[in-house]
Amino acid sequence: MPKILIPTPLRQFTAKENAVTVSGATVGEALDALAGRYPDLRQQIFTAEGKVRSFINVYLNDEDIRYLGKTATPATEADTISLVPSIAGGATVAAPLTNDAAPALSNEEILRYSRHLIIPEVGMEGQQKLKAAKVLLVGTGGLGAPLGLYLAAAGVGRIGLVDFDVVDFTNLQRQVIHSTKDVGRKKLDSAAEKMLAINPNISIARHEVALTSENALEILKDYDIVVDGTDNFPTRYLVNDACVLLGKPNVYGSIFRFEGQATVFAYQGGPCYRCLYPEPPPPGLVPSCAEGGVLGILPGTIGLIQATETVKLILGIGEPLVGRLLLYDALGMRFRELKLRKNPECPVCGEHPSVTRLIDYHQFCGVPRQAAAPAQEGKMNDGEIDVTELKQKLDRGDRFVLLDVREAHEYKIAKIPGSKLVPLSEFAKHLGEFDKNAEIVVHCKMGGRSARACGMLRQAGFTNVRNVVGGITAWSEKVDPSVPKY
Amino acid sequence: MIHIEPAPWRAMQEHAVEAYPNECCGAMLGAMDGDAKTVRDAMRLDNAFAGAQAARYELRPEDLLAADSAARARGLDLIGIYHSHPDCDAYFSKTDLENSCPWYSFVVLSVQNGAFHHANSWLPNFARTEAAREELQY
Repeated sequence: MPKILIPTPLRQFTAKENAVTVSGATVGEALDALAGRYPDLRQQIFTAEGKVRSFINVYLNDEDIRYLGKTATPATEADTISLVPSIAGGATVAAPLTNDAAPALSNEEILRYSRHLIIPEVGMEGQQKLKAAKVLLVGTGGLGAPLGLYLAAAGVGRIGLVDFDVVDFTNLQRQVIHSTKDVGRKKLDSAAEKMLAINPNISIARHEVALTSENALEILKDYDIVVDGTDNFPTRYLVNDACVLLGKPNVYGSIFRFEGQATVFAYQGGPCYRCLYPEPPPPGLVPSCAEGGVLGILPGTIGLIQATETVKLILGIGEPLVGRLLLYDALGMRFRELKLRKNPECPVCGEHPSVTRLIDYHQFCGVPRQAAAPAQEGKMNDGEIDVTELKQKLDRGDRFVLLDVREAHEYKIAKIPGSKLVPLSEFAKHLGEFDKNAEIVVHCKMGGRSARACGMLRQAGFTNVRNVVGGITAWSEKVDPSVPKY
Repeated sequence: MIHIEPAPWRAMQEHAVEAYPNECCGAMLGAMDGDAKTVRDAMRLDNAFAGAQAARYELRPEDLLAADSAARARGLDLIGIYHSHPDCDAYFSKTDLENSCPWYSFVVLSVQNGAFHHANSWLPNFARTEAAREELQY
């Protein structure tokens, strides 16, 4: 015969009683008895399926029954049951700023932005919103390049850039914010210089770090909107979770060869990246741009969709790309749209999140941390071989098989003499052709795909298998510069 | 209609201004006669949101339970929740709505540039898909 305390607004259904004693040996039975006695109360507490409504926490004395035996928790006449709603909320980020907080525009700025100012949807007020906005670009690579240039031109007042890389020759095919003369320069400096050249009225914050669980919240918290221009899963999950925890929209884009995707995650009430992909793909399954290649123009298209969404969110106009995943196929030249739903069970943005702080995303994605320094000489793990040792073996004429698991079109660009091409895509069906007693050395472009081929070999019972660390790229750098890097 | 007496109203404003630029939250205790509510006391509660609190708040259910017990012990009722919107109007945001409870009045205080600006009271509907504005007197 436990006692149930009735929240004030529900007493209209209990003949003004503020506490009701009911029969029942468990919490569930007691609640059911209560609803039986006061039928109008039932729908306040239970869903049509008879479950306690999601916003209600049931407490037995001072303990949440979720951590006891749920509705089967025994209840006696000494016990008190309380119904406690979950309550949270908050002003939204895209909320209109008041006019007195809006920064003024100089005459030079009015002239500069005149084509914006004469659109009714933007106008002075919109342009001032852009000037007041703070946007963080994570990455100044393929996606970050068009984003940086156009958001600067559009007059986004404060733009933060996160990158710790330097400009590489292979970047120039798509990262149009960097020029040939910038090769070897910090991407941050190169990008900021171009953006300020376009628009000296903006300010740029340079965050020369790798975004980590330790620094992400601190860096992101000062911005209104975060734009994800990263190329790897650990950072993508990190950016997503940090955005959800901070309640900031995450303007997402990703690219592969001829296809791209874009959407806005973690927008008020909308789904997050984890609603779409609760788990990362197995390491190595989805190749990076460096491994899989990318049409140079593609990040331009996707980055500009992200830039458009960013500007719309700032202005509060149009229909944001929330709950919709836009898919772009450059070869077919088609856009498609998939509906995305917020997952109530989502571990980070769901109703009962299990991820309430940032975790170790490298571990979560099963990928090793990016080496702080290039692989150290002579510090190979078991099952690995360095390119210089490979060269010595070849020079000595050792008996071993050198397998190249790249694709045929890559083999045409560059190869290591004496290697046999068996592309990873058809590797499994050739496993039977190799001699189990032979020493096998496997390489690819950078070491990722060959590591998987080594794994397949070992699983098939091969014991003398080694992976070439750094692949043909390391070969070109350390052994034979005449082999082109790509 | 919800009427907030001068003492709790002052306490709620002070709380909102002190918490600026973060959001504050608390419970409103008083009496309820049909749709006529009177707030006699405001009780500060901890903003338990784990991330940045400039645009988010979260109440711990234990704290709400404690507020309800405190109200009962003093012969008052828990009749509503208040929170602030720093540099933002006192509207009921989507986040507010989706994490609300249809049982209570939700008073939102707008604090702009560190000073109280205006306030509104909201009544979420049962499905928590919209909130009606409740007449607020203070």
